[in-house]
Amino acid sequence: MTADVMIQASDLTKRFGSVRALDKISFEVEKGEVVGFLGPNGAGKSTTMRILTCFLAPTSGTAKVRGIDVFDDPLEVRRNLGYLPQRAPLYTDMVVRDYLKFVADVRGLDAAAFRKSLESIIEVCGLAQVLDKDISALSHGFRQRVGLGQALLHNPQILVLDEPTADLDPNEKAEVIRYIKEIGKDRTVLLSTHNLSEVEEACARAIIVSKGKVVADGPLEEIRAKTGSVRYLVTVDEKTGLSGKSAPRISELREALEGIRGALRSRELPTDESVHKIEVSGEKDSDLRAEIFQLMVAQGWLMLELRRDAQSLDAVFRDLTRGDEAMDRGLAWNDESDDGDDEAADRDDQDDEDEGDDAEESEEKKDA
Amino acid sequence: MNTLLTIAKREFRAYFDSPLAYVVICLSFFGLGLMFFMYQGGYWQIDRATLQPLFEFIPAGLAMLVVPVVTMRLMAEERRSGTLEMLITLPVKDSDVIMGKYLGALGLVLTVIGASLAYPILMFKFPWTLGPMDMGPVISGYVGLLLYSAAAVAVGLLISSLADSQAVSFFITFFVLGAFWFSGSMADQMDGTLANVLHYVSFQSRMTGFMRGLIDTRDVVFFLSITILALVVSFRSLERRKWA
Repeated sequence: MTADVMIQASDLTKRFGSVRALDKISFEVEKGEVVGFLGPNGAGKSTTMRILTCFLAPTSGTAKVRGIDVFDDPLEVRRNLGYLPQRAPLYTDMVVRDYLKFVADVRGLDAAAFRKSLESIIEVCGLAQVLDKDISALSHGFRQRVGLGQALLHNPQILVLDEPTADLDPNEKAEVIRYIKEIGKDRTVLLSTHNLSEVEEACARAIIVSKGKVVADGPLEEIRAKTGSVRYLVTVDEKTGLSGKSAPRISELREALEGIRGALRSRELPTDESVHKIEVSGEKDSDLRAEIFQLMVAQGWLMLELRRDAQSLDAVFRDLTRGDEAMDRGLAWNDESDDGDDEAADRDDQDDEDEGDDAEESEEKKDA
Repeated sequence: MNTLLTIAKREFRAYFDSPLAYVVICLSFFGLGLMFFMYQGGYWQIDRATLQPLFEFIPAGLAMLVVPVVTMRLMAEERRSGTLEMLITLPVKDSDVIMGKYLGALGLVLTVIGASLAYPILMFKFPWTLGPMDMGPVISGYVGLLLYSAAAVAVGLLISSLADSQAVSFFITFFVLGAFWFSGSMADQMDGTLANVLHYVSFQSRMTGFMRGLIDTRDVVFFLSITILALVVSFRSLERRKWA
């Protein structure tokens, strides 16, 4: 281990009853990196972070923060970390300033140090206008910022942020991401999310977990290239065909597209126009555009749009975590704006609370 | 400042940031006054310069209302809202969290008890002097109250750290403390070993000595043991989250 490794997890396993939430997770985060920790809900992101912050103990394996084992000296580990738990749970009956003062007191900052770091936090997290408000009166976006501020009070070198952008509206998300980028300039950040566009924006490296295992770890470019497939977006009119011929049914269309040599699989995308929108995955370095066009002409189908994309991170994510329980629920991961995202976040919260509370309960839940 | 005291201070202040502290203090004094002066003729009927009824009503009131209300949120609410994770991932020891919360809640209960000092002072010192007052039993009575509330708050904290919600915590604490209080009266109606056991664990029979001006080491040890036991189990139940 080099001196620059800030977070080191090796063979972390965590069981809740008979459920294995983490299955030998290993990774390292080096100094100055901003790492996205990705995975479907229930994949073990929060559990890993709770182990790193000494809230939970691993069943086996070791976790070290700045070379300090979480078992040996949990207090020292926590002193080195700033942590923002999921949904930024704050004492809602307190005023923002009092809350920050409380955290500073617990962290043992003296009055002068507190004043100084409060100034910089107000600036970095944009808290000036809410400093004297009750936390219960704040919007979720501001609570998240206060949570972020709280994690930064003691100027830690390492930040662990658990879904800092869940439940935020798009503007707030953009804001928080901007703060994280700002903060990440001179710190090590481990950031969990299931929103991929954020990772692309804020992180250079991603770790993808699924079912308690690391399925991909590396720079975004590398991960993107990993599955190596190419994506085609095909839009076909579902009402009328070419020169009097009939329009295809969706099953017909997908079958025909998957029949093309080099096409791996297809997927229907949601749309509110009267069209079929299909995503076709093709083999690496393939170019099926000509074949798709010829197919359309031969069948007399009216193609409205055809686009070839290098594999997006979304698609990589889907490929890597396919078969995960969360996927079986049919949740869409790519559409930021749809409601599924929020529902998914809620569900995740519930799952996590159960994990923390009672092993048997979560066991039942998973079984069900 | 010391972490433990910081947590205790926040906990104590939190009661006053919400209406809870004011409601508890006002209503318990209204109730106490009503019982003390009106219930079955009250103080006037006894026709002696004594505060003994005070030491019967206060612990019963504490057991039935004040302690369950004050302790119900301590751990149950923190766990439910997730703030426990925020608190514990600060560099604090689990024992500091338990002790801090305990002292914060005990602080509020002692505020209520401290305010009841108005009774002996106003009635027998200034402005009224309603008779020659023997201060001995009053002092020992307050020592008893202190020990009693230390034990009751610890039991409340323990139940709050085991319960899933504030409401559940409230009712169980209410029931347990009520049972501990009235088991003495129940024992009087029975005989045999069960009666002895009930009598032995009853908070009420433990308090009678203090009311009469008698500070018995056995009673002191009894209350202190309950306190320590409840705190240790609360601490363990907080630690248990790590391994669950």
